[in-house]
Amino acid sequence: MIEYVDMLLPYITTILLISSIYAIFSLGLNLEWGFTGLINFGHVAFLAIGAYTTVMFNMSGFSLFVSVIAGIVLSGFFGLLLGIPTLRLREDYLAIVTIGFSEVLRFILLNEQWLTRGPFGIHGFDRPLQDVIPYQYYNTFLLILYLMILVIVYFALERLIRSPWGRVLKSIREDEEVSSALGKNVFWYRLQSLMIGSAIAGLAGAMLAFYISYIDPNTFKPIETFHAWIIIILGGTASNKGTIVGALVFCTFLSVTQFTSRFLPFTAHQMGAFRMIVIGLLLIILMMHKPEGIFGKKEELALSD
Amino acid sequence: MQLVINGLVIGSIIAITAIGLSMIYKTLNFVNFAHGDFVAFAAYIALFANASLGMHLASAFLVAILATIVLGIFMEKVVWHPMRRKNASRTTLIIISIGLALVLRNTLIFIWGGSTRNYNIPVRRGFEFFGATIAPNQVLVIISAFILVFALHCLLSRTKIGKSIRALSDNIDLARISGIDVDRVILWTWVIGLGLAAAGGVLYGLVTAIRPDMGWYLLLPMFAAVILGGIGNPYGTIAGGIVIGLSQELSTAILPTEYKFAVSFVVMTLVLLLKPEGIFGGAK
Repeated sequence: MIEYVDMLLPYITTILLISSIYAIFSLGLNLEWGFTGLINFGHVAFLAIGAYTTVMFNMSGFSLFVSVIAGIVLSGFFGLLLGIPTLRLREDYLAIVTIGFSEVLRFILLNEQWLTRGPFGIHGFDRPLQDVIPYQYYNTFLLILYLMILVIVYFALERLIRSPWGRVLKSIREDEEVSSALGKNVFWYRLQSLMIGSAIAGLAGAMLAFYISYIDPNTFKPIETFHAWIIIILGGTASNKGTIVGALVFCTFLSVTQFTSRFLPFTAHQMGAFRMIVIGLLLIILMMHKPEGIFGKKEELALSD
Repeated sequence: MQLVINGLVIGSIIAITAIGLSMIYKTLNFVNFAHGDFVAFAAYIALFANASLGMHLASAFLVAILATIVLGIFMEKVVWHPMRRKNASRTTLIIISIGLALVLRNTLIFIWGGSTRNYNIPVRRGFEFFGATIAPNQVLVIISAFILVFALHCLLSRTKIGKSIRALSDNIDLARISGIDVDRVILWTWVIGLGLAAAGGVLYGLVTAIRPDMGWYLLLPMFAAVILGGIGNPYGTIAGGIVIGLSQELSTAILPTEYKFAVSFVVMTLVLLLKPEGIFGGAK
């Protein structure tokens, strides 16, 4: 019995760590999609920018705190760059441009070896308080730190959404013509939402880098973006609570399927594909029959034009 | 010269596959992110008919087009038509299409694995042409693309169904009150659009390796062609496709080949910034 507990505890810690990173990553997307109605299919790009910037700043001698801030700021800045050509136009242009950007960025990370070490990835950067915390307790420490960050991000977002600024965002999502008739600069509000959402993804990127202590371009494949989409839609669009629950449910599902794969007659390759087929089907079925998600409110849905 | 030839070949593939994307975009008013995966699906069906069943590539070509169209009609009946009746917004449709893209691509990986394949056809020597080497397959691609575009032109301008398709993409409500059977015409739009995409996919397999993600990587150049040509304008899309294909290949003269893909992204972003209604399209 004791042995099981010894095995189970690190396992649960891992799931919770991954869930908290995904939760923050998805909260950024929920601000963009759930509260503003923006379709960002390249959210993973901002995760990558956050992770790489943090790590590279740290490797060139900056303190961790400055490096993380740099990662967050740069992610937000790229959100601005992508928003400018697209947010004045129909919502689908943002989807196309962001998904293209996330793939182009991955190519750059793979090919500019002088900057990113390409496919070899980067390791050997600092982790928060790594000299102080004993190694066997490090993940527990990280989990406490990440849960604290999650709580801060959650409450900051809740306050933001209940503020007048947040009400304007929702009004744009419901009917942009009404908001612009009331004198609100729709484009600027959307741009701010995209910047903040991207900056939050950048923070999640830094957290991911500290947790896995090694990053390479293939950590940031487009599928990560759709993991976040599934999490939001599962949890309920425009519900921050739902997003956190969704992240926990989804990450548990992912790691449990890693065990059950032993009972299915598939190769590792097929198992990976099978999991993605399930994710795709889940997206289709949820969007067709329960677009407000499991915990979402139907009135809060950005889907009625 | 070599780069120009390569660019024309890849450009004509982008052109014929992107026409369907453009037509669906305009008529049904949403971006079909699964379009590229239909292209790959067709290449794999042709591969299966050719390499596993031992069919001649020409008949495999027809089988692939037929299978893709059947799949497309199935999706229209099961997903798109019910969603239209529910008055689903285009953001819902876009997210569904992403889900469909994941399902299609990973089904290909599940069945055939992730490695690259090739058709079972004899390798023939290329011939010299003004200092460039042209493979017979490349000629085949350009000629087929030309025939397909010509056939499409006749269809759109001469037949009743072609005129209905154009009317629908102009104004769906106007088309409906003038007595056009909208659902039937939408079905035809899928048939023609996906038929062309499938043809493009089989041809693409002739000049490149067949991989499950071949269609996914074609998606961005296709979008670029659609936006360059003006959404819903088949002739603009064809021109856009050729331009994108040429600029991708010519870029390799100055940039590493890995960045071919980035070229269409840059072109597309510039068009969106400067002239979002498309270069060849006129105001829409």
